[in-house]
Amino acid sequence: MKFKLIYPRWAKLEGQTIFNLPPHGPVVFAAALPDFVEIDFVDENVQTLNYDESVDFVGISMMLTIQIKRGYEIADEYRKRGIQVIFGGISTMLHAEETLQHADSIFLGEVEGRLEQVIEDFKQNQLQQVYNYLNQEPLDVSIIGPARRDILSHDLYYHKGVQMVDLFHASRGCRFSCYPCAVSFLGGRVFRPRPIEKSIEELETIENNRLFIVDNSLAQDTQWEKDLFKAMIPLKKNWCSHTIENNPEVLDLAAQAGAWYVYQAVFDTSDFIRQRIQRYHDYGISVEGTILLGMDNQTEDDIKRLIDFLLEINLDLAEFTVLTPFPHTKAHDDLKKENRIISYDWDDYNAGKVVFKPKHMSPDRLQELYHHAWNLFYQDETQEQKMFKLIMKVIEKEMNNGTYQSRRRDLVDKSFGKTIER
Amino acid sequence: METHNPFVEEVFHFRGEWGVSSRCGLKIVRLEEKTIILVTEFYDSNPGTSITEWNTHLASEICQKYAIDPKRVIFIEHTPEMSSTLTFYQETFDRVTFKWDGKSFSDPQWERVSKKDIIDLIKLEL
Repeated sequence: MKFKLIYPRWAKLEGQTIFNLPPHGPVVFAAALPDFVEIDFVDENVQTLNYDESVDFVGISMMLTIQIKRGYEIADEYRKRGIQVIFGGISTMLHAEETLQHADSIFLGEVEGRLEQVIEDFKQNQLQQVYNYLNQEPLDVSIIGPARRDILSHDLYYHKGVQMVDLFHASRGCRFSCYPCAVSFLGGRVFRPRPIEKSIEELETIENNRLFIVDNSLAQDTQWEKDLFKAMIPLKKNWCSHTIENNPEVLDLAAQAGAWYVYQAVFDTSDFIRQRIQRYHDYGISVEGTILLGMDNQTEDDIKRLIDFLLEINLDLAEFTVLTPFPHTKAHDDLKKENRIISYDWDDYNAGKVVFKPKHMSPDRLQELYHHAWNLFYQDETQEQKMFKLIMKVIEKEMNNGTYQSRRRDLVDKSFGKTIER
Repeated sequence: METHNPFVEEVFHFRGEWGVSSRCGLKIVRLEEKTIILVTEFYDSNPGTSITEWNTHLASEICQKYAIDPKRVIFIEHTPEMSSTLTFYQETFDRVTFKWDGKSFSDPQWERVSKKDIIDLIKLEL
């Protein structure tokens, strides 16, 4: 049985360095499919979808809200041709009702141990409209097996011969309630770490030395963090991740385990943030600040002060986004209550476009400040130059521990599969 | 939050969107002309759908369970303060008005009201 699994493309943010990472959702989904299913995976960000290829059943995996309109287009075309389509992934759950209008079936919840039934139903021509597991207890994560990275066309995730990071997860769920995040609706309130030995087993299967550990936050359980990092040390991987706990012992172990850089939210100009960034640096861990603009507690002056502060604290990289009221977040609830959402065009929900009325300025002014933030932070050293520094840092580490893999010479003229015009 | 909050009399369990197990605080105050339903968001101890997202269904379910006349309801959404430096977690009260078609509520409209208004309305003695 031929199952075409599609990851819809999305428009990249204007003016930013383009890079494409191998997606994680589809490889986790693929691992839960029965062995007899032949998977043909297409990542539309780096590949062209051919509707004419022979296929029995189509799956569309959507992580981001900005993927969904394209996902619907693809589904509509296949369904017109008489091919059944099932949707899954985070954005399917966030936009389930709407997605149903373009689907033969939608899958809501975690997939492990549950796709055999879907495939059996399909074979019997009894596909259900909704496979809803959101109303059940979250899965026992020990049953999660290694992701099926073999379905990826790995050569397409290189830029000038340098391989992009591979994605990996060591846990599910998050115990925090962050304002712009939808984890509560996605059933992920309870932090569920995978057994350490399972995580290590999967990490050992990944040839790539550079990883992105995509867990919501690693700072969930001190003992777990320590155990995980200790077990990772012998693997000699280098990785980026979201927040690591602000604890010297944990940070020391993280550094030994290969912590390369972290995404750290910078939400004010406090000494706490200054010290937090400094502490990462003290342990040799670089920091990409993630800065959310447009919160109700930010005036224009606050935003300008925040940008100056970022330059003072020597962030290695900064990523600016504007508050975006994704469905099933507290941000959405609050802005909807106050009638402040000005766009429901999901293509606008790229976190770079203002889709609401800010409290202290006009939407246009916030949009200007967003561009100003990017421009000011990168005026002396471009994003590409700063990224190059991070790459050099990891190369140095790899040289020192004997794990350095040189650039792929056959791909130096390619960027994500496309020939570079020189 | 749940036990020390004067606006919470009980924990109300409900099935939110797609049947997700969810919970909120509930206080019902029966006045002569109206019945006040005050629901409190539990944030991180609510594993499912928010009271705002689900308010029309929640209002119907509570009216049915507690034999409240839907035409005489004053529905209040309460989001308590969280220990956070971020101001959007300040305590808020919103009075929600709905359309009632004889079977279900729809078209919620929110109006921000002060804590004092609520205390006066429900005659709460703090």
